Amino acid sequence: MKRKQVLVRIFSLLVMLSMLAACTPAAAPTAAPAAEQPAAAEPFEIAVVVKITGIPWFNVVETGVDRAAKELGVNAYQTGPAQADPAQQVKIVEDLIAKGVDAIAVVPNDAKALEPAFQKAKEKGIIVITHESPDQVGTDYDFELIDNVKFGQHAWDQLVKHMGDTGEYAIFVGGLTVPLHNFWADTGIEYAKTKYPNLKLVTERIPCGEDQELARQKTLELIKAYPDLKGIVGFGSLGPIGAAQALKEKGLTDKIAVVGTVIPSQAAPYLKEGSMKEGLLWNPADAGYGMVWLAKYLLEGNKITDGMEIPGMGKATLDGTLVKLDLIMDINAENAESLGF
Amino acid sequence: MKTLLRRHEAYVLLIIIVVSIIITAVNPSFFSLENLFDLLKSMSLMGVFAIGMLFVLISGGIDLSFTAIATVSGYAVALALLRYGDSLNIFVIFLLAGAIGILLGAFNAAIIYFFRIPSIITTIATSNVFYGILTVLSEGKWLYGFPTWFGDFANIRLFTLYSPAGNPYGLSIVTVIWLALVLLAWFILRYTVLGRSIYAMGGSPSSAERAGFNLLRLNLFVYAFIGLMAGFGSVIQALLVQTVAPNSLVGKEMDVIAAVVLGGASLAGGTGSIMGTVLGVALITLLGNGLTLMHVPSQWYDVVIGLVILVSVGVSAYRMRKNIQRRVITETA
Repeated sequence: MKRKQVLVRIFSLLVMLSMLAACTPAAAPTAAPAAEQPAAAEPFEIAVVVKITGIPWFNVVETGVDRAAKELGVNAYQTGPAQADPAQQVKIVEDLIAKGVDAIAVVPNDAKALEPAFQKAKEKGIIVITHESPDQVGTDYDFELIDNVKFGQHAWDQLVKHMGDTGEYAIFVGGLTVPLHNFWADTGIEYAKTKYPNLKLVTERIPCGEDQELARQKTLELIKAYPDLKGIVGFGSLGPIGAAQALKEKGLTDKIAVVGTVIPSQAAPYLKEGSMKEGLLWNPADAGYGMVWLAKYLLEGNKITDGMEIPGMGKATLDGTLVKLDLIMDINAENAESLGF
Repeated sequence: MKTLLRRHEAYVLLIIIVVSIIITAVNPSFFSLENLFDLLKSMSLMGVFAIGMLFVLISGGIDLSFTAIATVSGYAVALALLRYGDSLNIFVIFLLAGAIGILLGAFNAAIIYFFRIPSIITTIATSNVFYGILTVLSEGKWLYGFPTWFGDFANIRLFTLYSPAGNPYGLSIVTVIWLALVLLAWFILRYTVLGRSIYAMGGSPSSAERAGFNLLRLNLFVYAFIGLMAGFGSVIQALLVQTVAPNSLVGKEMDVIAAVVLGGASLAGGTGSIMGTVLGVALITLLGNGLTLMHVPSQWYDVVIGLVILVSVGVSAYRMRKNIQRRVITETA
């Protein structure tokens, strides 16, 4: 009797849990498509699908999307899953395709998972643009504000600037399937082999860059596992902050140098007290604006050419389907508070 | 029944000891006071949530909304800190978070009791409501830049020691708060009529009612209590990371439930102990810590943690089944 009850409970728990997993994205929809447009000259509908909604990074991206919508006269809006989940993101893209938008710009959680959906979009004549996914298959153009090879190398230059060119270091990424974080990590490791041969990576990259408490814990653990650790490169906006907190807690801010991608206003106190040394980034609002600009440019039947000028952002280089700008931005104690995000 | 419980806890403790020995063999720096205190601090957040979950599981229910409750109260606390900053103190903060937690928890209890909806369904629904409303109102904004006193409080240690390398460590105030709550919970469960009636209700609600227990009051207490723990947990989370993000806790329910079940609580209600819960939390935290210290590549974390949960819960379920079989045989004989 008792045992049966237990089994029933466990079974129902499982069912509920799987339902829970399936329901969460629908339950917390954010940034619903803007209200219907006045019917006049139907403006282009451009949907920007980000990795995860409701985090500061993509909130700033959204300001760029909104600015583009206003300035360019298109119906552009941002949406995305409530968790950085590839499957939920694919579902949103498929819904947008079914809805019949004119262009979809995606910041992929998982490049591979989106390929079939992109194929479908193309069949329906929808323009597909990606961002932060340089090797994306199935996209019309991948738009990058930075040269990712240079960016990865720049991160290691910053690391060496603060820890010296000899010693042990570790890498944080947002997740092991986040294309760009791992690309930067690959590039940096490769670059360090020739440029800084005395740097030693202590362990595989650790997926804690989007969870501050986890990054803090992992840093405490790293300090003990590798007592000679001298540096941490963190990709994902919370990794470096969590690391900086752990170092501050342990009074190790002079011994271990933290650099990486951060939101300037959030990192400002850590940069000022020295628990984090330097950050590197581009302006996410530019990403939102650029994606919408590019989508509209293509929808109007224009062609992308090497060396063309994107208004307010400089010259773009074209390499296959990769449209690249060069907007790497150093973040330090002096400028962190004045960057506006 | 009691000896069985004790045996289960002893069993978890045994696994902890074995795991510790393995980790120490690979990396002796695991077995240090410094790591012990750091671990205790890392455990505190999950530990506080686990206390609340234990009460609910004993009562025969389950609560999947506590992370949403914690998110709401954490957000309220963060807003208060940003607006009134220096005029507040830590007690007001805990009071505010606790009050919001109790309120939302009582709401859960009322729905569960009056509409007789299973707790799992109720709390999935309310979790979405709480979290959804917060997402709408907050637009997902992260809150940080709290007053300095709030950051300083988080760094208080009851005593400070220095490792050979000169790193400071000690018993963190956060750990002390957790341990105080553990003591309180232990006292309630062990020595009060209230605690014993929660076990009674979990064992068999209808007999408990017939025996004169007020199920409404018990339900209210249990869900308000996990709400209180969720509220306190949200303050601890804010103390630890000095940032409140609407999405940082939701999704962590399963780790907490896993820890409590690992510690011997049954999803069918009526069993579970605070000692087991603390051990369950310890084991889960230990594994994550140990894998890094053993230089295991990060890809393997989830696999190992999943396997350990499976093995230990599996073994204890197997023992329980054998025990039941034995009982049936003696009863029929």
